[in-house]
Amino acid sequence: MKRRHRLLLFAFGAVGIAFVYCAGALNMPAWGQYRGPYGDAIARLAVYQRHATDTVNAVTYDYRGFDTLGEEFILFSAVTGVMLLLRPEKQRAGEKKNQEGGNPASFRDRAALSETVQVFTTAIFGFSLMFGIYMATHGQLTPGGGFQGGVLLAAAPMLLYIAENTEAFQRIVSHPLVEFFEGAGAAGYALIGIAALTMGAAFLTNVIPLGMTGDVFSSGTIAAISACVGVEVAAGFTLIVYGYLREILSRAAREGQ
Amino acid sequence: MPSPALLVAVPLIVAALLGALRKLIPRWVADLAAVLTAAGNLAIACWWMAHALHRTQVYWFGGWFPRGRMALGIGFTMDGYGCGLAALAALLTTLALIFSWKHFESAGGHFHPLMLVFLAAMSGFAVSGDIFNLFVFFELMSTAAFALCGLKTQEPAPLAGAFNFAVTNSVAAFLMLTGIALLYSATGALNLAQIGLALEGRHDRLVIAAFAFLTTGFLVKAAEFPFHFWLPDAHSVSPTPVCVLFSGIMVQLGLFGAMRVYATVFQGCFAGTGVPWLFVAIGAVTALWGGMMCFAEHHLKRLLAFSTISHTGLMTLAFGVWTKAALAGLFVYLVAHGLVKAGLFFCAGILLHRFETMSEPALFGKGRSLRWTAPLWFLGGLGLAAAPGFALWAGETHVTDGAPWAEAIFFIAGAMTGAAVLRVGLRVFAGLGDAGPVDRSAKVDEKPETTDAGRRLSPVLYAPAVVCVGGCMALAFWKGTMRVAEAAAASFMDFRGYAHMVYAGAIVVQQPVAPHDLLTRGIISAVLRALAAVAVALWAVLHLRVPRELRWPSHLEGPMRPVRELQSGHPGDYVAWLTLGCAVVGVAALWLGL
Amino acid sequence: MTLPADYPYFIAAWILLCGLYGIVRSRHLVHMVISLTVVQSSTYVLLLAIGFRQGGYAPVFAGLHTGVKVVDPIVQALMLTDVVVETTVVALLLAMVVKAHEKSGTTSPDDLRFLRG
Repeated sequence: MKRRHRLLLFAFGAVGIAFVYCAGALNMPAWGQYRGPYGDAIARLAVYQRHATDTVNAVTYDYRGFDTLGEEFILFSAVTGVMLLLRPEKQRAGEKKNQEGGNPASFRDRAALSETVQVFTTAIFGFSLMFGIYMATHGQLTPGGGFQGGVLLAAAPMLLYIAENTEAFQRIVSHPLVEFFEGAGAAGYALIGIAALTMGAAFLTNVIPLGMTGDVFSSGTIAAISACVGVEVAAGFTLIVYGYLREILSRAAREGQ
Repeated sequence: MPSPALLVAVPLIVAALLGALRKLIPRWVADLAAVLTAAGNLAIACWWMAHALHRTQVYWFGGWFPRGRMALGIGFTMDGYGCGLAALAALLTTLALIFSWKHFESAGGHFHPLMLVFLAAMSGFAVSGDIFNLFVFFELMSTAAFALCGLKTQEPAPLAGAFNFAVTNSVAAFLMLTGIALLYSATGALNLAQIGLALEGRHDRLVIAAFAFLTTGFLVKAAEFPFHFWLPDAHSVSPTPVCVLFSGIMVQLGLFGAMRVYATVFQGCFAGTGVPWLFVAIGAVTALWGGMMCFAEHHLKRLLAFSTISHTGLMTLAFGVWTKAALAGLFVYLVAHGLVKAGLFFCAGILLHRFETMSEPALFGKGRSLRWTAPLWFLGGLGLAAAPGFALWAGETHVTDGAPWAEAIFFIAGAMTGAAVLRVGLRVFAGLGDAGPVDRSAKVDEKPETTDAGRRLSPVLYAPAVVCVGGCMALAFWKGTMRVAEAAAASFMDFRGYAHMVYAGAIVVQQPVAPHDLLTRGIISAVLRALAAVAVALWAVLHLRVPRELRWPSHLEGPMRPVRELQSGHPGDYVAWLTLGCAVVGVAALWLGL
Repeated sequence: MTLPADYPYFIAAWILLCGLYGIVRSRHLVHMVISLTVVQSSTYVLLLAIGFRQGGYAPVFAGLHTGVKVVDPIVQALMLTDVVVETTVVALLLAMVVKAHEKSGTTSPDDLRFLRG
């Protein structure tokens, strides 16, 4: 199909979609007048039933925790997919073996990095780790939670990369334990659900004492699940970075030959 | 009583562990663990199928039972239809994993975890009673499928196919989410029963817009015209076990999603309007288009993919008829088609394993040495034509019982797809006629997906195909098939009963009336259709010396340039079609529904 | 010019169509993937707009009395799920693009059409 025809086709479709959508949106409740009832019920109940002050996380990890299990495995399968797509291919005869061992510094832009950046990124490294752990463990109280914390944790090794400490970076991201933690974190979530089953309750029912509202060790399984998610997300994003890095390295090595 | 949560949780846990330990465990452990998990899912789904058929039940995750009419958490609704599809998904996954035993390229241990995640997503999708949970499983299914589709990374074609698949299906998911958001703004609920009750038969523009976006999202997965373009691309490049799951169950689950949402949310809204005719029209066009493209195709997997489009179109048509008999027929048709199509893909996989090509001209006459694959292939071709003795025939008879006008579409689509498969069989296994025309798509060269140096054929390659084709024939002769289907259809259509079940626990569905014997009436058209399929196949292969006007099978098999150019391989084209289709669905629904 | 009262709903539709337009006329696969994220962004706007309440607080009751008016926590949780879906799909799609470029030397969808007819 020619480009012109494609755009014409799209123009008709877009006009139609806009028409249908606007016809519907004009019937929607006015903006800013959310009528409930689902959200209001949860906002009212979550603090009493689950001792969690952040009701968004109470929804994510408890009331609709089963959605989040699915979501976590979306991440798991995407990470597996990235690793699969970017897997090192079998060497053809005559080619040099092991392109993985290339030096990451060799393909990086060799423009000198200012010392300020080096010092500060290294300093932020520790802070980023701490902040990630804080986020992942305080999701039930304030905005945050496993996903946010996990992403922050995964960002820490990237800081090393920016600071050109590429050896430490590569040692971290290519460690076999990363892959193990990714799977273990994902499995841990489902196993918390199974634990409830073995006690005769429904899947993902809270079976841990709820604790004091506002305490870090409160809200039962929400905190435990949040921690599992944190581990999985941190490891998952690290693996994605590793997958891309390995691809860049093998490409650089090929071009260098 | 096995918890319904195990259907999803166990495959996910095993997948995560296989992924975590993939470098440590040997291949046979991964094979065994995956097959056992899938078989366990099959057992649980069958148990629930048997128990939920007359007694649909609800399962609340986290023990969040509804407060009054307010569903707090996510519920699985275990009914005959959903459990039946979960069982089919588990069966096909088990067979696909057996097929890939030991020899199949496992991509560094990533293959098994992805297959199990795929299974968990399909099982959850089939029985979920929450609209956002449906979206989550839709996406989980998609993500695993995108990755599996790009398993062969040695050449660019699979990557292009996987990319087209991923872009179109992601757009579909976002349209679906838009529809969910519109429904949420109208009702403030996510549970299907609660939304249905809250709408109370209201069919204003907001509900219709939500219907249009949601339905478009599901129909993209169901590969309906004009949303179907991704499907042949994804199939022609996917490994065989993945094709089996795509064609056998994933596409049909897309349709099932639309059906589930229609039965619970929109049924009351659109009762008495012409909206179901929208599905009849889409289904009819898709069935005929798919049948025509199927006959024109010469890449085996692509040919089977177009046949899937055609048959899913027929199922959509049956959905639009929306009577108890039609839905019962649809259920049988869906299961039987899944089995036959899986059997044909397994046969194609054997050919690919043995000869390392999927092109019909290249395979000409080569299959004469395969004594076991040939009969399976021919039986599969007759099965697609819904010949007597295959369960598709029983399903079709029940659909057309209340809608005699649909008979013609079933006849043409069944005969065309059957003829295409039989034509391939005659050329490949019997070496009749000539090699047939060469077209561009047939040249997509398939790299071998197996790692067996000798190209030997072991029983694990045949067994799944035998089970599939045999199972489809057994269903036709088992007396209980239609009884089960009618019970499943009755509880599936009954929204009042569904809502009561969600809020009050379990209910007993009344025994449906004994199915009337339609098969003797339908047998004439079934025999005629099978004969037509054979005749068209022979006609195309033998190049009969008939007047030019009567050589249409050969012409239909020829290039058909302008029509086939629409299948352009360009994701931008596909999304443009998708946009137009969504607009047409929306405008038509506004016209029919208001 | 005054905006209509429900303008966030229409902004969502505009973003949706912009994203679709980007995909349809894209000449580069990375551009196409980013356009897909634009399509997804429209769902963020729509979800949050639906749950918004004029003058409502964030639904976090740390130091907030439970009786006060808050916005809907459900749509925010749904949006979080949506964000994760987006990131992962983008990661997967970009991996395909990288690999496709490596195997065929092109990133234009016009040149990647191996599956035609």
